[in-house]
Amino acid sequence: MNVPTDHVLALAAVLFALGVLGFLVRKNVIIVLASIELMLNAANLSFLAASRHWSQDALAATHQPSAGPIFAIFVILVAAAEAAVGLALVIALYRLKQTVALDGVAELKG
Amino acid sequence: MAETLFYLLGALALAFAVGVVRARMPLFSVLSLLGSFFCLSGIYLLLGFPFLAATQLLVYAGAIMVLFLFVIMLLNLGDEAQLERHAGLSLSGRRLFVGGTAAALLGIVGLAAAQMNTTFVAGEVPQGRALDDLPTLAGLLFTRYMLPFEAASLLLLATMVGVIVLAKRQRGTSAVEAEAEAPALPAPPLSSGAPR
Repeated sequence: MNVPTDHVLALAAVLFALGVLGFLVRKNVIIVLASIELMLNAANLSFLAASRHWSQDALAATHQPSAGPIFAIFVILVAAAEAAVGLALVIALYRLKQTVALDGVAELKG
Repeated sequence: MAETLFYLLGALALAFAVGVVRARMPLFSVLSLLGSFFCLSGIYLLLGFPFLAATQLLVYAGAIMVLFLFVIMLLNLGDEAQLERHAGLSLSGRRLFVGGTAAALLGIVGLAAAQMNTTFVAGEVPQGRALDDLPTLAGLLFTRYMLPFEAASLLLLATMVGVIVLAKRQRGTSAVEAEAEAPALPAPPLSSGAPR
């Protein structure tokens, strides 16, 4: 596939920006968590794009593949942990407040 | 061909991402996220990472999305009446739409897989290997990245304990709720195995 790395990185950047937008704008906790997952996926995409970009050089120089896929695996792992903890927090919040809207949770606001 | 597929999948992923941010209901947001993950999995395949594409489907689309949907259903956030109002489609129409979308996505990802195969046969990737060749990946993970790997296992353990502590019904509230729900009963039956 001859798609330039720039285009893959641009796609990742736009996906990340959309994730940031959702994280900042939306009030529903679950949509905020989904936006975080979107951002983590964009990061993964840029890892893999960079890994593909430099894989030829790395293979020639060290006979080892670049670390991009490994980082992607760790990102997926962290995303899974984050989703589990985040959703447990959502359940705890719902039990406390009967809502998942972030507007209703302002006790720590100074 | 592969280029066209990449741009098609990229555009679809972007459209689904917009859906994640714009959806009125969390259910539609999470389903859009699922579509976005499917498209990204196809893109990973096209980039030459078949193992990560499979991991993306299994872990993200399989496990994490099911967790999201489970919590939405558990908290009853996907209210049926609201669904009717927002979707603007009959039940069978909605089923047709969802089935069609799923079939189209699967077809596109399958096409990407076939494309990747022919690309490898044509020898565009050095030694005809995937970039995330599994033996090499595992070797790296258990030698150079041993410490992060162990740290990750600790993180998962901590996550497990933390989630159980967070999601468990607290002692005080559960006693109050049990009394409020069944005041007449002398000893409310313990429905779950959790210690009270």
